[in-house]
Amino acid sequence: MNIELTDVTRTFGRNKAVDGVSLAVGPGVFGLLGPNGAGKTSLLRMLATVLPPSSGTLRLLDRDPGRAGARTEIRRRLGYLPQSLGYYPSFTVAEFVEYFALLKEMPAHQVPKAVATAVERVELGPRAKARLRTLSGGMLRRVGIAQAIVNDPDLLLLDEPTAGLDPEQRVAFRSLIRDLGQQATVVVSTHLVEDVGAACTEVALMAEGKVVFRGTPGELTARGEGHEVGDSALERGYSAVLAAARKQVHA
Amino acid sequence: MTAVALTQRTARFRPARALRLEIKHNPGVWVLPLLAAVFYFNAFRTAAGYPPTWTLRAAVITGPNLIFFTVIAAGISAWVATREGRRKTGDLLATTARAAWPRQLTVLAATVFWMVLAYLAGVAVIYGMTAFQATWGGPPWWPVAAGAVGVAAACAVGFTCGTLLPGRFTAPVVAVAVFAAWFIGVNAANSVWDVPNASSARGSPALLVATNGGRPQDVAVGVFYHAAPDVSIAQVMFMGGVLLVMVALPALLPAARVGGARRSSFAARRRWLTVVAAVGIAAGVAASATAFSLAGTARLSAVTGWGIPALHDAADDQPIPYTPDCAGGAFAVCAHPAFAPYLGAISAALQPAVAEVVGLPGVPARAEMTTGDTLPAVAGTTSVYQYSPKLEGVGGESFWVTPAMARAAAWEQGTQQDFITWFVSGPSAQEAPGPTPAQEAVAIALLAKLGAPVPPGYPQFSQPASQSGSSGMSSGSATQPTATAAQITAAATSFQSLSSAARHSWLAANIVGLRSGAVTLAMIP
Repeated sequence: MNIELTDVTRTFGRNKAVDGVSLAVGPGVFGLLGPNGAGKTSLLRMLATVLPPSSGTLRLLDRDPGRAGARTEIRRRLGYLPQSLGYYPSFTVAEFVEYFALLKEMPAHQVPKAVATAVERVELGPRAKARLRTLSGGMLRRVGIAQAIVNDPDLLLLDEPTAGLDPEQRVAFRSLIRDLGQQATVVVSTHLVEDVGAACTEVALMAEGKVVFRGTPGELTARGEGHEVGDSALERGYSAVLAAARKQVHA
Repeated sequence: MTAVALTQRTARFRPARALRLEIKHNPGVWVLPLLAAVFYFNAFRTAAGYPPTWTLRAAVITGPNLIFFTVIAAGISAWVATREGRRKTGDLLATTARAAWPRQLTVLAATVFWMVLAYLAGVAVIYGMTAFQATWGGPPWWPVAAGAVGVAAACAVGFTCGTLLPGRFTAPVVAVAVFAAWFIGVNAANSVWDVPNASSARGSPALLVATNGGRPQDVAVGVFYHAAPDVSIAQVMFMGGVLLVMVALPALLPAARVGGARRSSFAARRRWLTVVAAVGIAAGVAASATAFSLAGTARLSAVTGWGIPALHDAADDQPIPYTPDCAGGAFAVCAHPAFAPYLGAISAALQPAVAEVVGLPGVPARAEMTTGDTLPAVAGTTSVYQYSPKLEGVGGESFWVTPAMARAAAWEQGTQQDFITWFVSGPSAQEAPGPTPAQEAVAIALLAKLGAPVPPGYPQFSQPASQSGSSGMSSGSATQPTATAAQITAAATSFQSLSSAARHSWLAANIVGLRSGAVTLAMIP
């Protein structure tokens, strides 16, 4: 298992962002759904080794990220796209991706080819020498994806990856993560259930910091039978699970 | 993930490539035009106005020029250090394998690269110019090292402040703080020069910052004797220590190492990093503290400048052998080869002055440049006119000018004033009780024949015109009656109106008495 969480909790002051989550995820594309404030980003930041859990056990790629040496090894094999991508406007696309390839300690001789491949995979080859300040929001998102995949990660964490992408790009992106999921564990945190339906082999739904559903997209769809809120079957499943979870919490 | 793939991933960071990227995108490039302007107006013009001797020109390098470079360097470094916070790349960078400290060192190194490069480019311009103009000696390198390390240390100070206190106003605050620190330090440093003579000067840690506005205490520094590099060595130690401490400090602070992800306890210290940082800080503190205490032991030598006993090379106290350069015919004018560019101007000024008094008792056969701080005690007993580049003579002219400026009429006249007053009065012209009215009148007459004005050192003539003719000011001589400027001028005019032969004849008979003060104003024909 590339991700193993046991009763993981993360608090910020009095607010419990992640509340006793236990998950074990292997290779494949894993969708993380949930409303705003459900704890998806906090969970993803813990998986990205940005934040340590307040309690519980976290193992990534069979290593304990609490140990400095193991954490470095994890980070060499990690790709992460944060919800809000910070970038350096004067860097070109290729330079920005290369910068992260270097920081991920990729073997030097592999860097040029890896950068070119990553930039091509997000279809930014023609803009490889464009400065980031000249790119649109969608293109910047693709640059963020390129830097995340440049080291061919074993654990890829994407927070709202399709935000700002046009439909054509979203289709291409789904194809990309399906491809990446053949070897690696890809965790996609999103609001867009159609992305999950199209690309994910497994999905978890978070609410109030807890995982309230885990299964395949088909199983989530099945939960929506008879439920009226939602434009698609998957959305109805999402709404049904969420409504049930809220009812349970309030009860 | 196969074992082979895992092994391949253990390859380490390639700082050269990352550094190249950082250098390319470092905002230090933006301030190069500002640095160029600062250099031109502050350093280049000052250096170009100095005589073309290496030590003098090198003094500019660690003068105000260094202050402005370090202020700008600290400010831009603080700005660069806040980049990750301003650009919100903290989370992204925190997930990379490379530790934050080495990553930030790369950014700092890029900033240091541009700032030090700009600084060294300025040094190259000054030294290049000097190489074309200087006729003796070679470039001193310790001041260059002190300046370069100072700029790097300022970058590190700014960067560490920006890392620990990221914010929009960090950069300007750091720049102002560095400027204030310099201001206080330089004022303290300059006060150590404010002494009546070299033997009473005592060292101070303030010597570790730029001193004396970049101007050495005398124009002949590094010419007759080596300029002791002791203070520059101590400056390198001190600023190098500051550099080490500032570079190592962020490595001990977890908040800085995660590059913005401040709440992360994943930034737990790596043992090797802690050890490296601790050793760096210890070495830096030791170097700075040692330099601090050494500077306090400095002593000012009249010939070699500030020396620090623990760092001093006794060989520096020995005169540097040289063969003078000489010009002129019957009256040879010689100068230290470092001042060879002035030889023509000195000779052109002295030849007509000597011609006015040729054949009189005590007329020198040649002029020689000396290391002395005072002129020979008794004029007329030597066949050599000794002049020193250190002296601002009776005429007020000195060697603090370029060779081109030395060809101007004012400089020529000043040189003639120095010679004639020395010949007529001896060193008493510069010292209390000063020249007698008769000496003044004769000197004024002789100078008038050369087209030179009254020497500015004559007390009656330095008063406002309304007072000088009627105040009855004392001449300053205890052995002669007082005289006014009008009386002295009348006697000078009368003496000047004599024929050349008559004047020469009277001088031949009376010059010895005139020098001794036995000749009064009334005795001048």
